[in-house]
Amino acid sequence: MQTWWGLCGSIGSVALGLFLISCSSIPSAQRESSHEEEGVPPPRYSIIFIIHGDGNYLYHDSDGNANRADQKTLDAARRVAARNREAEVFIFHQKPTKRTLFFFPRRDGKMYYYRHGQSYAEESYRRHRGETRFDPEIKLYHQFRTKEKSQPLRIFLYYGHEIPEFDGTGYDASHSHRSFTIHNLADGLHRFTHDFTRFDLLVLSTCFNGTPYSISALSPYARTIVASPDNLHLSYFALEPFEWLDIRLRDGEMPEFANNFARQSFEQLKEDIHTTITVAVYDVDRVKGYVHAVDSVYIQALDTLKREKPRFFDFIDCAEDSVYVMSGMSEGVDIFYRPPRFGRSQNKVNHSGWGCRVFHY
Amino acid sequence: MVWTVYQIYRKVTTMLTRRFFGAIVMLFVLVLAGNAGAKEQIQKYFNDTALKVQVTDDPAEKREIINESLQKMMTALDRVHSSPLVSKEDGDGIDQYKTVLQEKQDELLGNNGFERVPDSQLNAFSVYVVQSMEQADRTITISLVTLLLLVIILILIL
Repeated sequence: MQTWWGLCGSIGSVALGLFLISCSSIPSAQRESSHEEEGVPPPRYSIIFIIHGDGNYLYHDSDGNANRADQKTLDAARRVAARNREAEVFIFHQKPTKRTLFFFPRRDGKMYYYRHGQSYAEESYRRHRGETRFDPEIKLYHQFRTKEKSQPLRIFLYYGHEIPEFDGTGYDASHSHRSFTIHNLADGLHRFTHDFTRFDLLVLSTCFNGTPYSISALSPYARTIVASPDNLHLSYFALEPFEWLDIRLRDGEMPEFANNFARQSFEQLKEDIHTTITVAVYDVDRVKGYVHAVDSVYIQALDTLKREKPRFFDFIDCAEDSVYVMSGMSEGVDIFYRPPRFGRSQNKVNHSGWGCRVFHY
Repeated sequence: MVWTVYQIYRKVTTMLTRRFFGAIVMLFVLVLAGNAGAKEQIQKYFNDTALKVQVTDDPAEKREIINESLQKMMTALDRVHSSPLVSKEDGDGIDQYKTVLQEKQDELLGNNGFERVPDSQLNAFSVYVVQSMEQADRTITISLVTLLLLVIILILIL
C-alpha cells in the first residue's frame, strides 16, 4: 500500500513539476541586451521576420520531395541574419502548440535575435500571452532592439498563408478559435513602429494580399510593399536578395531594391512552379488614389456578406471586374506576372497587379 | 497452383479486413494530427501520382495514371458528398474541389473546349496538378470530419 501511495506521489510530483514548467513565464534562455556597445557602429538595417508555421505548410517540390515551408524560411532567414554585418535581425517563428502529457502546452514561439551577423539571443515564448496578436513579439522586440538614435532602414517580412481580410478564425491550427486578420497585422506594425513613422519595406509572402483592401489597411505603416495579388506557391519569395545588404542596398535606394527583390523572386519561382506567378511592388503613396477609390465598393461587399453567406468566393484580377477596373489603376504598381502553364488562364497575358475577391451567392 | 473457392474467399476477406483496420488506424492517427494531417494525406496522394508519371515512359500510360488518379479522387468526393455526416457548407466545398479536378481531367483528355495536354508535357502537367491542388486546399474550406471521411474512402477504393 505504501509503495502504491509512493508511486502516486511521485507521478503527482512529476506532473506538477511539468505543469509549473509549462506555465512558467521564465524565458528558456535569456541574455540581457547591452545596448551601447563601444566601438560598434549602430545597425544600418533593422529587419523583422514573422514566420507563421501553425498550419499546413507542407508542399512538394517538382522532384516530389516534401518540404515544410516555415522551416525552410526559418533557415533562409537565419542565413540572412548571419550574413548582414550591419544589421539587427529579429526572427519570430510561430510554431504549432505541442503539449506535454497531452495537457500541458509548451512554448510555441521562438525568437532569434542577431546583431552585426552574430547570434545574440534566442528565446522561446508563448504566442498567445497578451491581449492582442503580436504582444509577445513586440515586447521581445522592444526588450532587445538597439536604442541608439540612429535611423536604420527598416524592413518587415511576413511569411505565411493569406492573411484574411475579415473573420480570420482558424488561421492558427493550434488555436482555431482565435482570429487573425489584416487589421491585426496593421495594429502589430503600428506598435512595432512606435518610435518611427513607417517601415521602408514591407514584404507579404502570402497568397492574395495584393488587394486594394489589404494595401489600404497597411499603407500607414510602410512606404513600399511587395505582395502577391494571386496564389503564391509555398516556396515563397526568395530571401537571397536580403543576404549582403551592405552591397545590395549600399545606396539606400529601397524602391529599387524592392524591385530587384521582386524580380529575383519571380525568376526563381518561374523555374519550378507551373501555376500562376504574380509578384507586385506597390509604391504606397502613389497607389493611394486607386485604393481609396475602390475601398467603398469592397466595404459594401463586406456588408452584404454579414447579411448573406456566399456559397463560395474566389479571386480575380481587379481589371476583369467592371466594378474595380479604372484607368490608371496600375500606376505605382510594378508587376511581375506569368500565367499558369495549364488551365483556362494560360493565355492571359497581363495582370493589373491588383487582386479582387468575388463572392458567389 | 489451383485455388479453391475457400482460399479465394479467405484471401479476399483477409485483404478487406487489413484495409478496414488500416483505415481505422489511419483515422486514429489523422484525428490526432488534425486538419493539417488530413490535408497532407491528400497532398501526398497527388504527389505519388506525379512520381509514378515521372518514372513511366509510355505517354499513354502516363495519361492513364493521371486520369485514374483524378477519377478516384472525384469518386471519393462523390461518396463523401452523399454521406449524411456532410454539412451544406462542406457540400459546397466538395463541389468546388470537384470542379477544380474536373477541369484538370477535361484538360488532360481534351474535353469541354480544352486542348488536350500534349504527350511531351504530361510530366509537367502532373506537377501542375500537385501544385494546383496544394493551393486549392488553402482556399476551399472543408471541415476536419469531412476531410477524414475523404481520406478513409480514398484508402478503401485505392
